[in-house]
Amino acid sequence: MNPLLTLMQINDSVFPIGGFTHSYGLETYINKEIVHDAKTAKEYAQTLLEHSFYYNDAAFFHKAWQLCESRATRKKIAELDALITAFKAPYEIRDASKKLGIRFLKLTEKLKPVKRCSAYLKAINAQEQHGHYAMAFAMFAHAQEISYSDALSAFYYNSLNGIMTNCAKLVPISQMDAQQILFKLQPLINKLVGLQPELDDDLIGNCCIAQDIRCMQHEKLYTRIYIS
Amino acid sequence: MDSKIVLNVAKEDGRSRLKESYHNAPYKLTHYGAAGLTNHLEMIIMSASPGIMDTDYLHIDVHVKKDAQLKLFTQSFNKLHPMKTGARQHTDVHVGAGGLFHYIPHPVTPFKDSIFKASNHIHLAEDAVLMWGDIISVGRIHMKEAFEFDSLHTQTKIFRQGKLSFIDNQLLRPKSQPIQKMLFFEGYTHQATFVFSALFAQELKYELDEILTVEYNDISYGFTQASKDVVILRALGTDGELLYDFLHMLGQLCWDFTQHKFSERKEDTAVEAITEDEKSKTGEITVIEHRKPRRKSKRELVDAVVVEGTNYA
Repeated sequence: MNPLLTLMQINDSVFPIGGFTHSYGLETYINKEIVHDAKTAKEYAQTLLEHSFYYNDAAFFHKAWQLCESRATRKKIAELDALITAFKAPYEIRDASKKLGIRFLKLTEKLKPVKRCSAYLKAINAQEQHGHYAMAFAMFAHAQEISYSDALSAFYYNSLNGIMTNCAKLVPISQMDAQQILFKLQPLINKLVGLQPELDDDLIGNCCIAQDIRCMQHEKLYTRIYIS
Repeated sequence: MDSKIVLNVAKEDGRSRLKESYHNAPYKLTHYGAAGLTNHLEMIIMSASPGIMDTDYLHIDVHVKKDAQLKLFTQSFNKLHPMKTGARQHTDVHVGAGGLFHYIPHPVTPFKDSIFKASNHIHLAEDAVLMWGDIISVGRIHMKEAFEFDSLHTQTKIFRQGKLSFIDNQLLRPKSQPIQKMLFFEGYTHQATFVFSALFAQELKYELDEILTVEYNDISYGFTQASKDVVILRALGTDGELLYDFLHMLGQLCWDFTQHKFSERKEDTAVEAITEDEKSKTGEITVIEHRKPRRKSKRELVDAVVVEGTNYA
């Protein structure tokens, strides 16, 4: 199989795992008109990637990738899964990670079974582990011989793409603006991918308080288009 | 300066009593009000120092033994003075079976150039209950020192029966974060986190769903089920005292709820014991009636949530 094409397929925004149904708190920001135009949308996206995603999902991806490199035991995988569960405080965010993870594992199992991924899915179904998308994505991408920097860059890009698609639908901002922000933030993604291995373990899971509050407030929004 | 505070609480003759305790300068540990006034124990940590200085290290070690109940208070805002190296505080908490620990300290105020790391490791036995608070201000606002501190790192880990159930990790570093903007303080100057951990946390969450329905003008908050046994509430505000009162109100609400759950459990055990006794006398099976004590009405609970000085949106 061609690693590049596999990466493009599993990272596609319409890869049917339900990624488009989540806003990860962005819907609250738009509802409260904190994100209200292209400028604030860019500010939101940039801060989220640099100060939240880098310390959380991207860091979890990195940890899972390291485990794959070291042929880690199931116990180590279970420990990482439990650690991520403890970090993801807002219920909807934790649940989104689980739902996407399960669907990703089920779908990729039909494409090309990977022993480690199947074992992870089995443990999630048996309720021995919670299940997290960042781990599932890293495990499958690693097995497809996709390079670390390509897989992680794509992982960042997918998150940013999700934000921009949601902004185009909800704020709304123009598709042109959304595409320009996506393109302009490439250097930031490159920088963060380069810095990822240097992240101190002590800072993994670092929380941005207002982001956390907006995710929690989403549970109580009167009108909700997104699940999170 | 290295300091230590050790606190042991055990239940004796139906009351929570202070056992072996230790403190050294500049700290002092004493009863909060008259000892023996309540069945639970109330203690306060006092300090003769104007605040935390560079290279200070404080270790707090709290043991709440089986069925004991402790409310631990602080004296005033925790002031972090300007530093070059940084100061540290580490808190270890062990709450035994049926134990209850309530700790909502005053806000931390980091002065210009302060560097501080606080780590908290909380170990809960299977059915232990925790009410925990953490409030951070962004500095001496009226001294024009808001967001002038160097770094403030707080890390809280909660384990139940040795299993990790929640981690709060927050690093604030104004020089390298857009700290006043989106995702961080968003125009506010204080932040608060309240944690309630119990096996019946979900029931408390359902209560909060009905009680916390108003939006305030001066506090923005959200709450969630952070794990099966943990409910957390996070808030942003502009007044440390107000957030302190808000968290204490929540703490009291959780305390009352927990006492209700405890008395419910005791009554159930008593009714079952009577029924067992009757069964052994008559040899017949009797239907167990669960006699529940009177709960606070919804109105009473809603009234309890009104924080003085708070405007509604």
